[in-house]
Amino acid sequence: MRGKAYRGLEDGQLVQLVAERDDGALEALYDRYGKVAYSLARRILTDELLAQDVVQEVFLSLWRNAYRFDAGRGTVATYLLSMTHHRAVDVVRREENLRRRRTSDEVLEFEPDPAPGVEAQAEAAERRAEVRAALAQLPPAQREALALAYFGGYTQREVASLVGVPLGTVKTRMAAGMRKLKEALREAGREEQHPWTRQ
Amino acid sequence: MDTPMNHSDYEQLAAGYVLGALEPDDEHDFQRHLGGCAQCEAIVRELEGVVGQLAYAAPPVEPPETLWASIQREVRPERRPVQPLRPRRRAGPWLVGLGAAAAIVAMVALGVWNLNLRDENVSYRQRVTALEEAARLVNEPNTSRIALQGSAAGAQATVVASSPQDRGVLIVENLPPLQRGRVYELWGIPEGGDGRPQKALVFIPLRRQGPMALEFQVPIQPGTVFAITEEPGPRGSEQPTTEPILAGKPQTV
Repeated sequence: MRGKAYRGLEDGQLVQLVAERDDGALEALYDRYGKVAYSLARRILTDELLAQDVVQEVFLSLWRNAYRFDAGRGTVATYLLSMTHHRAVDVVRREENLRRRRTSDEVLEFEPDPAPGVEAQAEAAERRAEVRAALAQLPPAQREALALAYFGGYTQREVASLVGVPLGTVKTRMAAGMRKLKEALREAGREEQHPWTRQ
Repeated sequence: MDTPMNHSDYEQLAAGYVLGALEPDDEHDFQRHLGGCAQCEAIVRELEGVVGQLAYAAPPVEPPETLWASIQREVRPERRPVQPLRPRRRAGPWLVGLGAAAAIVAMVALGVWNLNLRDENVSYRQRVTALEEAARLVNEPNTSRIALQGSAAGAQATVVASSPQDRGVLIVENLPPLQRGRVYELWGIPEGGDGRPQKALVFIPLRRQGPMALEFQVPIQPGTVFAITEEPGPRGSEQPTTEPILAGKPQTV
């Protein structure tokens, strides 16, 4: 329905249009990444309204700073989704009560897909499957350290005390886990020419 | 730095850095290292891609229809059919209202937090000192408070400046993230327009530490304007090379 004219454009082209104050291009990017950004923010914040605030902030930030976007530094998807992650973690740290509600047990495993096949966007489902497969290959201790930091917004020192291991061990686990994920995702074909905008 | 770190120590910090999970002292050290290390920069760039992709591991939830509508409401008044070369949002009234009270509340809150954490750590010590300096200046008669305004969404900055002492404190929050190798630079610009901007301070905001207080010394007259620009790191420039992202002059009292 919306954004038909933009469908054939790559993310980078859309960002250029956004820099020229084209709100249709912003909407097209929202159609591509709004749902995954919102899902991530919901997962971290467990609060609908705070998650909406974060996603709104992210897209408005793109609107206002699109002219600064540097394609040499990463994809548009990386920009939007890593910013969503940063902001959501900022908020969860500020809202300490959100974190006290959850114990380390209930928090933060990367869960199995609750309803495979329900996913409307086949492409997002495919990416989800790849990311989950990459996570499944990690040793559980590395996955746990990454999940606590990524979804829980815990710092390395907090992760160390939650898990009951020395800080140095957490640093090593996160570094090894991220390195393996990077390799696994690259093998899964994420490094194609336009990995985020396949039509 | 108490114990010198070698390169592989830094490489190991990259994962925690992109996840935003480093402790403030590690983040501080890593950011300083990043400015001059192409290898770590490349690692960070790759790992940031992983951080983005991990978003797909979150269980999918459909956002409410109202979410796009509320984004659109903010965007509509600013959209333009023509294409400006470098669109910059003009400073709106939204920053003007940043009051001294809010700045002081933020400072006190940060101060309490910081004092709780007072330890041997250098970056903490510097921050505590800056806060104490700000608190002292605010209490003095010839101090002005200058709210800096500009185009960066959500960015807030206030200068507390003492002209008799030619020193001040910058309190800053939510500046846009810098590209690697870039820094922010604060300038004191003498009133009147023909004075050369004076370099006051070069800094890189820590990503997740809320408001940050930084001390500086620069010649200050009652009408001195303060501005923040983005400059090449690690030492900044002798004169500004970009448009200020935030600027402000003292309100006449």
